[in-house]
Amino acid sequence: MSEFNITETYLRFLEEDTEMTMPIAAIEALVTLLRIKTPETAAEMINTIKSSTEELIKSIPNSVSLRAGCDIFMRFVLRNLHLYGDWENCKQHLIENGQLFVSRAKKSRNKIAEIGVDFISDDDIILVHGYSRAVFSLLNHAANKFIRFRCVVTESRPSKQGNQLYSLLEQKGIPVTLIVDSAVGAVIDKVDKVFVGAEGVAESGGIINLVGTYSVGVLAHNARKPFYVVTESHKFVRMFPLSSDDLPMAGPPLDFTRRTDDVEDALRGPTIDYTAQEYITALITDLGVLTPSAVSEELIKMWYD
Amino acid sequence: MSSQAFSPVHPNAATSDVNITIDTFVAKLKRRQVQGSYAIALETLQLLMRFISAARWNHVNELIEQIRDLGNKLEKAHPTAFSCGNVVRRILAVLRDEIEEVSMSTTVTSTTVAEPLISSMFNLLQKPEQPHQNGKNSSSMRTKTDYRQVAIQGIKDLIDEIKNIDEGIQQIAIDLIHDHEILLTPTPDSKTVLKFLITARERSNRTFTVLVTEGFPNNTKNAHEFAKKLAQHNIETLVVPDSAVFALMSRVGKVIIGTKAVFVNGGTISSNSGVSSVCECAREFRTPVFAVAGLYKLSPLYPFDVEKFVEFGGSQRTLPRMDPRKRLDTVNQITDYVPPENIDIYITNVGGFNPSFIYRIAWDNYKQADVHLDKKKV
Repeated sequence: MSEFNITETYLRFLEEDTEMTMPIAAIEALVTLLRIKTPETAAEMINTIKSSTEELIKSIPNSVSLRAGCDIFMRFVLRNLHLYGDWENCKQHLIENGQLFVSRAKKSRNKIAEIGVDFISDDDIILVHGYSRAVFSLLNHAANKFIRFRCVVTESRPSKQGNQLYSLLEQKGIPVTLIVDSAVGAVIDKVDKVFVGAEGVAESGGIINLVGTYSVGVLAHNARKPFYVVTESHKFVRMFPLSSDDLPMAGPPLDFTRRTDDVEDALRGPTIDYTAQEYITALITDLGVLTPSAVSEELIKMWYD
Repeated sequence: MSSQAFSPVHPNAATSDVNITIDTFVAKLKRRQVQGSYAIALETLQLLMRFISAARWNHVNELIEQIRDLGNKLEKAHPTAFSCGNVVRRILAVLRDEIEEVSMSTTVTSTTVAEPLISSMFNLLQKPEQPHQNGKNSSSMRTKTDYRQVAIQGIKDLIDEIKNIDEGIQQIAIDLIHDHEILLTPTPDSKTVLKFLITARERSNRTFTVLVTEGFPNNTKNAHEFAKKLAQHNIETLVVPDSAVFALMSRVGKVIIGTKAVFVNGGTISSNSGVSSVCECAREFRTPVFAVAGLYKLSPLYPFDVEKFVEFGGSQRTLPRMDPRKRLDTVNQITDYVPPENIDIYITNVGGFNPSFIYRIAWDNYKQADVHLDKKKV
């Protein structure tokens, strides 16, 4: 039993199912953990989950999103133990319904699309930064409803997620154009609204997302364009970052040390950033359209009831 | 449980009388003969009371469906009379709450409940729903509660609430207005604003100056009457042209606006054009903007498309006579949308709230299922 590795399991889940988000993969990995380790007592179960969560968070450099999944899972387990004391039943439920959670998470994207489709109207030009499945499912749904809109997709360096979204939208037949990230300021006056996804939604209602989201947010705010975040509610995470500096990152945000390796690419720097709530017009989630301040209420409902 | 199809025409002869009343009201709404959200809300409630008294149903879900149909009809008749849809949704929420309460009390005794659904975030990990439970409950609860009584009581309470709204707002008014302050209001047609100011003058004996924008062309008469009424109460009042707002704003201490509807994002539709530009000016000068609104003006809708909500009136007021041979377009906007970032606080009869908190008050009073009355449940 000792050869079970939470990180490997987690990564395998992500690899096997490209539609799966990080928090769901984390939940699935924890479910697998319970199935394999079969803890005998409630205390053992809690400890196993706790230590594995820590291990997982430590081993994955970009841990914001999966932390949200681990948090929900932990909270769910604790609540069930405290309220009902029926931990055997709870464990059984978790182990048996692993697949159900995955399908629910996917369904929540459909729900977001249903809710969010009203935000897109004919003749809109929509700027999208980064590739998020939730955003794509929303755009896809809108196109299926024969709404005629156009998309501007940023390249989203360094991960180049933009290219992926570009080809998906092109396949779908949505008029789309790809721009470099630095062109956002030049075209922001031409677009009607901005859609982004999120890796995590902080308690303040701000979002943690692919680097560049913050600058797009500031530009949109400056040009008075609505900036919408499309995200599943299981990405709400109990963090309160005040700026991008507060995010868990692999290295320092600015690294001035002399490079010793002979990698050609001199590019270094953060890969995620934090967009504060004042730049966000609304969050389109499976719980409905929320203002940023509603996020903390959802989190409080979960943790302090 | 609700398998039989709902007939669009009410089969009973007694209901035909109500249908006539409904049609008359719909026609009145369409012709814009009922003006002001206060009057519309009260008339809708009266109609709803008659409708529910005459309605026939087997299961309470049928009643809800019938009320939704009625609400949809009224909303279609006058899409920007938000208070009409709001009160219908409030009554629906009262009914749904009652259903929930009844089913809760029956499930506790009959089955061991899995987990009470506390956080919606937990939906993800919840146990799969057991559909057989619902069937069992619906049969047992059918006869027990008198939903007609519940709905009518709900309507009576709501009428009471709407009639007493100014009372609640005035309580807060006194603390907000200081001595020798200069106030500006761009919505002279709002009775709530008028009472708000008069109470501040009379109850706490404050001396302050009120600037009233002229509201050309639709509201000029109202502005004059408003100014007269204030002057009668010994309040120093000035009627100022709309174009002077920016010049005067540096001296204004507070801007007070009335509302027609308040949306979940904290934005508002005001019953007068030019309010949005006044709020924009206020923001430029960092002057606080207070919006007064009764609870019944809160709408669970989201202003996706502001242009759809803003109303345009006849152009004859802007330009009375025009030679049709000359090409000239005249636009007369009669309502205005104020975005949430330009409003500092909402003063309602239940307290003062930040625009970003309005969603919470809305969900306390409405149910998510009733946001779109035109969508049929499958």
